[in-house]
Amino acid sequence: MNTLNINIIIRFFLLVLVQGLVFNKFDLFGIYDPYVSLVFVLVFPIKINRILFLIISFFFGLTLDYFTNSLGVNAAAFTIIAFIKPYIMSFVFGNFYNPHGVKMIKHYIMESTIYQKILYILLIILIHHFVMFSLESFAIDQLAIIIKKTIYNSFLSLIFCFTFIYLLVQNER
Amino acid sequence: MQRIIDSILSNKDVLVFIILLLFSLYLLVDSNHYHQSKLNNLSNNFVKGVFKESSYIKEYFNLKNENKKLVEENLNLKNIFYSSQEILNDSILISQKYFFSSAKIISNNFSFSKNYLMIDKGTKHGIKKEMGVASKNGIIGIIVDVTENYSSVMSILNINSKINAKINNSLHFGTLEWIGTNPNILNLNDVPKIANVKIGDSIVTGGMSTIFPENINIGVVFKIDSISASNYYKIKVKLTNDMTSARNVYVINNKHKKEMESLKFFSN
Repeated sequence: MNTLNINIIIRFFLLVLVQGLVFNKFDLFGIYDPYVSLVFVLVFPIKINRILFLIISFFFGLTLDYFTNSLGVNAAAFTIIAFIKPYIMSFVFGNFYNPHGVKMIKHYIMESTIYQKILYILLIILIHHFVMFSLESFAIDQLAIIIKKTIYNSFLSLIFCFTFIYLLVQNER
Repeated sequence: MQRIIDSILSNKDVLVFIILLLFSLYLLVDSNHYHQSKLNNLSNNFVKGVFKESSYIKEYFNLKNENKKLVEENLNLKNIFYSSQEILNDSILISQKYFFSSAKIISNNFSFSKNYLMIDKGTKHGIKKEMGVASKNGIIGIIVDVTENYSSVMSILNINSKINAKINNSLHFGTLEWIGTNPNILNLNDVPKIANVKIGDSIVTGGMSTIFPENINIGVVFKIDSISASNYYKIKVKLTNDMTSARNVYVINNKHKKEMESLKFFSN
């Protein structure tokens, strides 16, 4: 087992526990929780097989669901962002993105401009939150509330995810 | 075949994604009560809307026949009204026990062994569970489930339905059941052999239940089986009411139902 796999396993459990036990009870203004667990997908190595990535993300979401007792909501949201992550990366990092090249995910994140970093994180957060909140309320007539909640919560998550990724990558060097 | 397999293999990550997504949605609906009821509601409303539309169309073609039937019934009712007006004015109105309200069947089944009908009246119109439903020619069934605008009726053509019935001239009663084959024939069981039954006798509701009033037509005796080992007849009853073409029905509301049932409770 190489360090990459061990890293993924450690992140899996660490982020689930941090999200489930600490940040789910954050409750800013009563309802807003930062979703730090998204860091797991954001910094997931791009060299790993895509199918394996999908399955791992699914189980990551499912484990999170057991903490909030909303089985299936996070599992679906995490599966979706795991699926569209490559497309978002090629959109944000443009021609330089090549999953089979020598560059690793931390290089992409470190060597990009601040706008690219924020765009990359924000897009994934927005999609995840939108899917999650709409599955949670499960009603089309509440679309306005879902969008409002998505936007407010995304800013909170953005700040926390940005900090977390900064710390993680900083420590790896 | 090779091409199909190739295309599946080349898109295998999309396939895995769809499978995982569907599985998580299944988990979502299966394990969360709120989502489940929401989805149920949606599909129920859709199905009921479709039934209603299709029944409108069918109704249109039956309009002539229905009109004829209504005129006949009106005449009948007028006859009854004028012949019993003196009594009506007296004390019946005060002690009136059964109230009738009209409804329309919007979906009808007679091909299964447990058949249910649907009528277009619900809690909004004062319909409650366990009210009786009858048409001009005979009984139809008992209401088992009510929503705001619709209710479902357990047809007498349901192997679970048991209805108290009696033979008109001898007052011996039995239980009316359906065995699940012919939609015109029902079985009347538990009629003791002392009873004087002939083929052609009419069968009416017995008035022993809190649901149907006494003397509503059900059918005529069609065949009598007497098994020597048993003390009871097995009577086959031919329905006067054609269940396969019933449309306009009455819901029977027994005002004294609660009172009667509270007494039954004590006697048990």
